[in-house]
Amino acid sequence: MIKAIPVFSRIDQRVFALTAKLILGLFLAGSFPLKGRAEKNRITGNTIQVPPVHQVTGHVQDTSGAILVGVTVSVKGTTQATSTDANGNYMIPVSDTDILVFSFIGYREVEAPVKGQTVINITLQSSSQSLSEIVVVGYGTQQKKYITGATATISGAQLSKPPLLTATQAIQGQVAGVQVIGSDQPGVAPTIRIRGTGTMLAGANPLYVVDGVITSDITNINTADIASMSILKDASSEAIYGVRAANGVIIITTKQGKKGKMQISYNAYVGVHMPANLVKMANAQQYIDYVQASLGPAVSPTGYSTDWYNQILRNGIEQNHSVSISGASAKTRYLLDLGYLSDQGIVIDNVFKRFTLRSNNEFDLAPGLTLGLDAAYSNGNTQNVNLGTAYNDAYRAAPLIPAMINGKYGNTSLFQNVGNPILDIQDNNNNTRDNHLEGSGYLEYKPVPWLTLRSDINDELDFNNNRLYNDQFAADNNTFVTPGGNQSNSISNLSVQDNFFYHWVWDNTATFHKQFGQHDLTLLAGTTAEEFFSQYIQGYRMNVPSNPNLWYLNEGDANTQSNSSNEEKYTRNSYLGRINYSYGGKYLLTVNFRADASSIFSAAHRWAYSPSIGAGWIISEENFMRNQHIVDFLKLRGSWGRVGNDAIPPDASAITVTPNLPYFFGGNATGGSAITQIKDQNIGWEVNDETDLGIEFSSLKGKLSGELGYYNKLTQNALIYVLVPGTLGSQPNPNSSIPAGYVLTNAANISNIGEEVSLKWNDRISRKLSYYISGNITFNKNNVVGLNGGQPYIDGPIGANQPDVTRTDNGHPIGSFYVQKVLGVFQNQAEINAYTDSHGNMLQPAAVPGDFKYQFNSNGILDSVYAGSYQPVAYYGFSLGITYGNFDFSLDTYGNFGNKVYNGKKAFRQSFLDNVEASTANNRWTNSNKTQSEPRANGGELPASTYFVESGSFFRVDNTTLGYTIPGDILKHTRAISSLRIYFTAENPLTIKKYSGFTAELPGTPTNSGIELNAYPTEKTYALGVNVGF
Amino acid sequence: MKKQIIRIFALLNVTLACSCSKSFLNVPIQGQSSPANDPQLATNLVTGVYSSLIYIDPGGGWNTDTHGISFIAATNIMSDDADKGSFAGDQPEIGDLDNFTETPSNTFVAALWNGYYAGISRANNALAALAISPLDTATKTELSAEVRFIRGYYYFNLVRFFGGVPLVLGVPTGPRQADTDPSLVTRASDSDIYNKAIVPDLQFAMDHLPLRSAQVVGRITKGAAETLLAKVYLYEKNWLQAFNLSQDVINSAQYQLVPDYSTIWRQVGDNDAESIFEIETGGYGNTDAGVPLYSECQGPRNKGGVWNNPNFNDPTGDLGWGFCTPSQSLVNAYEPGDLRKAATIITINPNPLAPSGDTLWDGFVIPNINSTQSPYYNYKAYHSERKDGIETFYGNRDRKEKNIHILRYAEVLLINAESANELNNSSVAIADLNQVRNRAGLPNTTASGQTALRTAIWHERHVELALEHDRFFDIVREGRAAQVMQAVGKNFVQGKNEVLPIPATQIALSGGKLIQNPGY
Repeated sequence: MIKAIPVFSRIDQRVFALTAKLILGLFLAGSFPLKGRAEKNRITGNTIQVPPVHQVTGHVQDTSGAILVGVTVSVKGTTQATSTDANGNYMIPVSDTDILVFSFIGYREVEAPVKGQTVINITLQSSSQSLSEIVVVGYGTQQKKYITGATATISGAQLSKPPLLTATQAIQGQVAGVQVIGSDQPGVAPTIRIRGTGTMLAGANPLYVVDGVITSDITNINTADIASMSILKDASSEAIYGVRAANGVIIITTKQGKKGKMQISYNAYVGVHMPANLVKMANAQQYIDYVQASLGPAVSPTGYSTDWYNQILRNGIEQNHSVSISGASAKTRYLLDLGYLSDQGIVIDNVFKRFTLRSNNEFDLAPGLTLGLDAAYSNGNTQNVNLGTAYNDAYRAAPLIPAMINGKYGNTSLFQNVGNPILDIQDNNNNTRDNHLEGSGYLEYKPVPWLTLRSDINDELDFNNNRLYNDQFAADNNTFVTPGGNQSNSISNLSVQDNFFYHWVWDNTATFHKQFGQHDLTLLAGTTAEEFFSQYIQGYRMNVPSNPNLWYLNEGDANTQSNSSNEEKYTRNSYLGRINYSYGGKYLLTVNFRADASSIFSAAHRWAYSPSIGAGWIISEENFMRNQHIVDFLKLRGSWGRVGNDAIPPDASAITVTPNLPYFFGGNATGGSAITQIKDQNIGWEVNDETDLGIEFSSLKGKLSGELGYYNKLTQNALIYVLVPGTLGSQPNPNSSIPAGYVLTNAANISNIGEEVSLKWNDRISRKLSYYISGNITFNKNNVVGLNGGQPYIDGPIGANQPDVTRTDNGHPIGSFYVQKVLGVFQNQAEINAYTDSHGNMLQPAAVPGDFKYQFNSNGILDSVYAGSYQPVAYYGFSLGITYGNFDFSLDTYGNFGNKVYNGKKAFRQSFLDNVEASTANNRWTNSNKTQSEPRANGGELPASTYFVESGSFFRVDNTTLGYTIPGDILKHTRAISSLRIYFTAENPLTIKKYSGFTAELPGTPTNSGIELNAYPTEKTYALGVNVGF
Repeated sequence: MKKQIIRIFALLNVTLACSCSKSFLNVPIQGQSSPANDPQLATNLVTGVYSSLIYIDPGGGWNTDTHGISFIAATNIMSDDADKGSFAGDQPEIGDLDNFTETPSNTFVAALWNGYYAGISRANNALAALAISPLDTATKTELSAEVRFIRGYYYFNLVRFFGGVPLVLGVPTGPRQADTDPSLVTRASDSDIYNKAIVPDLQFAMDHLPLRSAQVVGRITKGAAETLLAKVYLYEKNWLQAFNLSQDVINSAQYQLVPDYSTIWRQVGDNDAESIFEIETGGYGNTDAGVPLYSECQGPRNKGGVWNNPNFNDPTGDLGWGFCTPSQSLVNAYEPGDLRKAATIITINPNPLAPSGDTLWDGFVIPNINSTQSPYYNYKAYHSERKDGIETFYGNRDRKEKNIHILRYAEVLLINAESANELNNSSVAIADLNQVRNRAGLPNTTASGQTALRTAIWHERHVELALEHDRFFDIVREGRAAQVMQAVGKNFVQGKNEVLPIPATQIALSGGKLIQNPGY
């Protein structure tokens, strides 16, 4: 160890020297080209005869005409290089005999001899059909064409679509097999389901790997920092991540500095969010008519007709700025990115702000030895709103009550059992600040060309602070227009919670790669160790002054203080290996193996093994394909693999003691304890087996390319809560996620079978005009195929009269709606009298004309039926792009069909005085409107039924952008700006849907999704942006 | 340099190999102790059994309940003492219990099943831990006796709610034990519940517990065990045992009636001379730790206008949700001059224009009948929120510090009277009865003869123990539930509504082994 120190001190010296050079370079503008030439000459050994040098400039774009930023332009055989700026332009000094090499991740490399040219414009072949594209796979990279599993790679350029927070939102509708369920809530990432939902309780989100850091949250990443994103969709490619890969893996690689001149770019946009697809509620007159018709309490006009949604929604402004500085010298590459985002939600008071900083550096320490140091910091600040209460109240509150008058609130609770929605939001202040730090360092060493040794240490630190202050206010005329009612809070209180987690993972890998004649062999072996630790500490006091400066615990009443804390810790240790073999560039074989051990499981069930095997045949390389000119590339692939899911609470199997159960002896408080839960001590991983088949092709000289895929996934031993007899005595445990009465155990099998099709057509019609059209569709069939013990799992709570609306049972998709079936509306008393069971007894004796007629089973008992699930039969996306001269245009769409959603907010209606939708008021059954689809005016509290189940199919224009690039000759006069593009984007401008609610995109847990109870409202956004290169 | 780099890699791998030893993967659960590492396990579990009297679910008794809202619903509200209360649409399933239209899927009924078996599970776990505990034998025996009293009391409530239920006296071995041990999901007969659980548990407690004067306040005493066992014998019509045991409690001279009936259910009456077994509440961790929702769900509820009580916690607000409102028949049951009426029932000023309204004992003013949902509220559940702390209140309305009086000396006298009367010892019965009546400001009873005296004793139980959770069980025990309930217009079906339905979920979980009560 002691001997190692001089090594590091030498490294320090080199780093220092390089840094000094870098700073010097910053001051000596224009010195880079000269330096580049000097290096070139030194390396080629030609220090005397300097060949004639001139500058070559040019523009790089892809076949669709999209400008490509950050393409490496290097002089072949030298270290001299630059990269394209924000406008896709580059400039590099060359000699006539040089050959320029254009390379970019996700694109085919192109070589262009200079031969006296001064302008070389290049169009790079886009990735999907590229034969030599290098994609990031777990613990390494691989040529796309040699991959035997199902993967997709998206370049950073395709991901940074303003005004989207996360990169995953940008791939909505872009990748077959990847369903993205969006949320418009500021600071919230969309829900991702890769190839269906394969679990109920163990967490269904994919694994995110950001520069080697395994994480669950990517909202803290500035999308502009991302170089590429790889999505591993099938078990054979996921298996290298073992027991955490069952939901798919998303690998994000951030940008590195590129060889060449320092690049400075500035990107910004300003946009406005507007509420979209609002539900129109009854106005005052419609409301009065409805309540009277329902025989509810007498209500009379008040002169007000409040639109409560209008009162709590607004137009929100979003702005985003990001500055990037990157470059490289001979032995060091650097990148520094700064970003700032401010996003006002469309619900009043709701704001998310984020500052991000990233510094990625690579150092060539010695021949074959590279050190990488990446650090990313983000600071988020979210002003949360109490949407769960406010949104529901806005639906229910009577329009007769004024929203606010002279700063006082309309008193809805005096009129009905509903709070004023504005006050619901304003009577509390809920702020979350998050500081997130990610760092990784690696040392890569190539002692010989065929061996790469690499050691990565990655860690993640997160400091999160939440402060919730509840105001004191009385139901008096200081607060309300009229006093009374039950919306009040007699004592203010403050709750402060600090959350902290750290997580480190240490990977050590050795990669061997060698070609022997026609044989190409790559071997990977590695180990990983990992630790995760989280804790929280929470404090609470009442009677804290209302001045925000005094929102500290010690300002409150010490006699009311309480506090709590808890921790979670687990470790993993894994061994992994991979063999990639190809013969003649035609026959491919991939074998993966990973062994994982986790501290979460009892010693007897600790180890899990994830093998996979895949084979491919590149038919287009066969001799018999040589003489045709239609197909450029054709590959068949097939694989099988086993992965797992271990997102299981650490206390799932261990019997624990619940402390601090109070009793009072002799007037003294005493804390007792209890063994509150029955545990399954044999709990283990969820095991996911998947077979994948695919065809990949490219034809007509790359104009038409595509991929067809089939998968068959079976999750075995899926976790499910099993209700056990009450006599076993299971009780609530505040420290456990397992609900009272239930045991968490491995007792379900889930099948997902699907087909994927992606096609892309791109063409260039003239020098100025090029375009592409692409589309993809995924069919997925989700089915619970085996509940061990046969006990269905119920979920989907709506309210007191609809305690659960979903059921997960054999032969149906997870989380299917299970409700009473509405057969129609009783039109008259005769129909009610005639609706009898086999004994002639009336089935709905209490019904009156205009009530729903429900289906009963043959025993005369109300029947519940499966009424579909939130999981679509298929989801799809179509995109179009056109480039004409300096203009670029793109259009992305997304949709799904065959799914159902549950109109929970409508179902929640609880009393005669709760408002109804305008359409319900207008279309209700009356003697003169004998409809079969809407009941008579009623007082709510309807049972869960198919009435509330609606089609979830929708089609949406996701993103449409029109850009204009200012011609370079105009910019020359500015001297500072080398490139400038301005653009206008409309996000979500158009949605076509059948659903009557706000949105059919309703994320949730696997057994509680597709229910609109208090989903964040959808919005459309219009934004104006610039990309500037200096 | 290369060598040094290789050395670094070697070092990394060695370190890794060490870190991945077994200890790296043996991570104990953080923040949750296991039975093995709790040195005070047995005594703490015993306290946990006591704690189950207050609550099983700190969130309030909706799903798992011993003495909260589900208990109130299935005792007071179901009886002729009280109605559901609140407003019409609030908690229709409690309304079903009030009207005897409850179904096997009633969530409050399920909450009682789960709550009492959770309490029994705590008791069984504590007894198992005591059996292997290093504590001395005397301590173990006494703690076991306390736990067995509570287990016996829980089975007594279960058998009164449901009739015969599965008899569970041990700790389950795992979640699938019911697959191999049908006794967990098969009903024992009600006499088995009495003879194999309730009586032996209470007998053991009686034999091994000290008298009240030798016991810490709040812990179970010999007197409590004797009183409960006497009461159990009343249900079994074993008049001699009921008489002997109640007489033993009287003779023990540990208890006496307090002079002022109205103080019994106030904080000042906690553990008073009359108290035999009560659920102790108090402040814990700077907040109130009472039975969840007990006081709040029965608190008078505002219907309109501002209530103005500046000296109280919530100056402009009401007191709760307004459930369990005393019925008109209870109001009418009191003889003129009975002091217990005003101590049991909050009567709202019926004059809708009354400016000042009713003033409760602590000065809280409820304006008038137009300002409340109901004309009557339960005074025994009232707990003062005065800011000067006349009763302890940290501000947690859900968990107000209201001790629940399960057994008190007046009931011992009434048990003694009833059993004496059945044993044809009317002079003792009359003497007991008069003690209770005189304290209530009433003259001696005029009843004579066994039948008239029996009626008088039953009536005295009704008004003396009104809203104290026994009325429904009493009229069932007395064999006149249908008569009494139908007289007040309730849809009570004889042979069915004497017991609650067995929860449908439990029947489904038993695979049909658990048999439903008749009529449901």
